[in-house]
Amino acid sequence: MAKETKLAANNVEKNMNLDEKTANVLDVQDMYLYFQTGKGIVQAVDNVSFALERGKSMVIVGESGCGKTSLGRAILRLLPENVYKYEGSCLLNGSDIMQYDDERFRKEIRWKRAALVPQSSMNSLNPVLKVSDQVAEPILIHDLADNKEQAREKAAEAFKKVGVPVDFLNRYPFELSGGMRQRVAIATSLVTDPDFIILDEPTSALDMLTQANIMNVLTKLKEEIDISFVLITHDVSTSSEIADMAAIMYAGQIVEFTDAYTFFGTPLHPYSERLMASVPTLEADDEELGFIPGQPPSLINPPEGCRFAERCEEEFELCSEEPPGFEMEDDRIVKCWLYREGGERDANYGK
Amino acid sequence: MDQQFNVPDVESQETDVEREGDSGSNLKRIAKYFGFRLIALFITVVVAIYLLILIANMGGAVDNIRMGQIRENVGMQMMAMSSEMADWPSERRREYEEQLVEQERRRLGLDQPFILRSVYYLRDAITLDLGRAEQMTSDAGSRRVQLIILERLPPTLMLMMSYFLIMFFVALFGALFLSRRYGSKLDKLVVVLAPSSAAPGWFYGIFLILIFAAVLGWLPFGGMVKAPPPRETHLYALSVLRHLILPVAALIMGGFFLTIYNWRTFFLIYSSEDYVEMAKAKGLSNRAIERRYILRPTLPPIITSFALGMIVMWMGAIILEQVFNWPGLGRMLYEAIGLFDVPIIVGGQVIYAYLLAATVFVLDILYALLDPRVKMGAGAGGNKQ
Repeated sequence: MAKETKLAANNVEKNMNLDEKTANVLDVQDMYLYFQTGKGIVQAVDNVSFALERGKSMVIVGESGCGKTSLGRAILRLLPENVYKYEGSCLLNGSDIMQYDDERFRKEIRWKRAALVPQSSMNSLNPVLKVSDQVAEPILIHDLADNKEQAREKAAEAFKKVGVPVDFLNRYPFELSGGMRQRVAIATSLVTDPDFIILDEPTSALDMLTQANIMNVLTKLKEEIDISFVLITHDVSTSSEIADMAAIMYAGQIVEFTDAYTFFGTPLHPYSERLMASVPTLEADDEELGFIPGQPPSLINPPEGCRFAERCEEEFELCSEEPPGFEMEDDRIVKCWLYREGGERDANYGK
Repeated sequence: MDQQFNVPDVESQETDVEREGDSGSNLKRIAKYFGFRLIALFITVVVAIYLLILIANMGGAVDNIRMGQIRENVGMQMMAMSSEMADWPSERRREYEEQLVEQERRRLGLDQPFILRSVYYLRDAITLDLGRAEQMTSDAGSRRVQLIILERLPPTLMLMMSYFLIMFFVALFGALFLSRRYGSKLDKLVVVLAPSSAAPGWFYGIFLILIFAAVLGWLPFGGMVKAPPPRETHLYALSVLRHLILPVAALIMGGFFLTIYNWRTFFLIYSSEDYVEMAKAKGLSNRAIERRYILRPTLPPIITSFALGMIVMWMGAIILEQVFNWPGLGRMLYEAIGLFDVPIIVGGQVIYAYLLAATVFVLDILYALLDPRVKMGAGAGGNKQ
């Protein structure tokens, strides 16, 4: 029993926070992340707000270069040197972790509360250290186990959860296949039992079969344990199984945030509509597959007003001003003038 | 949060057993790997030394020079004996001269074709039977190349090891320090000064001698110990140390900024690896990240670049030793080249070849210790990425 105590203490601590505050595990408000580059200032994350309820998972969808990964980085405070502006608030179980200094953030948040499965998990393992050392490492540095043996047992449990043979713990990363490394990365994110895990395109470097395997593992995990996934992906079709909520990003902003079920059925924002139309489905005829003309605007000096206006078929005079996020039924937020109160689509919505 | 772990403790035992079995076969594989490496290195050394023998003898052309020398010597000999041979007819004199030349030619083995002799030379060189010098002698008066080299080896090793140790640690920590302060004024200064390494160490040595020996008079001009050498051991050591300062400083100046610049860039590249970011996300302290995630994976290439650089330095030290009047291998070679003393040149290079092979072999062992991909991948293709 003694070996469970430390982890249990961690949970109690978390639950205390839970009781006193909100039902949201993650509440991001007015997040900005700008980078300074030689060509100018890149507005990678521009005034992003969303809230994720406890126990739910969300997916952040968007094209390459729309700021998805930067948003994940901003939440986890994994910033490069050239940050120009990093502002906003990020409430984790009600406490604003943006206010923590670096040392406190490292000790209390990193991996204990917020874990990461990185974009290219292929390279996320140190080639010269054994897998077991790397998986058990967060337990040891955050003092969640009494000794190495116990940390190793925890790593073994995590391995079982994601379907990696336990004796792989003794291997070096180069002895694992891509899919196995990906599973190891997921196992690593589970060992400390964090509040949420950001999965940054966890399957993008893998073949279709392995992708499906990994997504099955994630779906299974989501059913089995109480954890919030924040899945970042450009692949709409694979995300539908995991997500309870969906955030659509375009050019550094969230243009639509809603629950995933209604989103996949009836996207509202013109960009979301076109995006969903471009996803191949089993029934759809290849020739009917939609596409979006043009390309997303540069995040250096993005256009004034609605950033999608240039590619939007329904552009009208209001689009030269930046639309606010209009709140629809079911807490649905759409950042498009068409949905303003009394707007043409607002009138039709729900009919 | 409310999830419970069911602790499986059987698994770990099983895997431990498996690991022991693994290590047995691993050992065999490692032994086999090093066996092959040794053979490959030996063949390399043999080929290198044979090429060296061909070149040092100018593909046999040196024989003509030596024949000329023999004729000249015999002529001198005849001159010295001219009173005894005064009544000899000139034909007999010429015959006698030819006889002497032939005798000398046989004695030196020049009657055999060069190709055949080159094989004998190779055999002798490989077995470190380096023969006798033609002109030079050791300080003790011996003409055996082996003794001459053995006498010169310790000073060179002392100079190079001092340089190696100081440079390695200063550059390593300096580079780590700079990579942490990427873009700072100090960092920019090092980048600007990096081309200073375009000039070799001995070049700076000349200025060091000028400043610290000639103008300030703090340190000796050169040599390894003051004359006459002190009797007491500790005074002797102190004197050697004083003489070491300038040549080692010159060597370090010749490579300092470039090495730091190199390694700092290296660390920077490796700092942007995904696993370093992961380590940060895991909540490791900066020190731990530096040690486990930056230094550890970069150590093999860094040690390689340094060790191979050191071999080049051994060659480069020829001039440095000359400048500092350092009685090492480099200066011996310098003198031997001036005197066309082929056995010494070949002998010195044979030692270099062996040192190079030994360095590469030590590197192989270090690699296996530092990088599991080398150890495990032995024999097989290895990395299955």
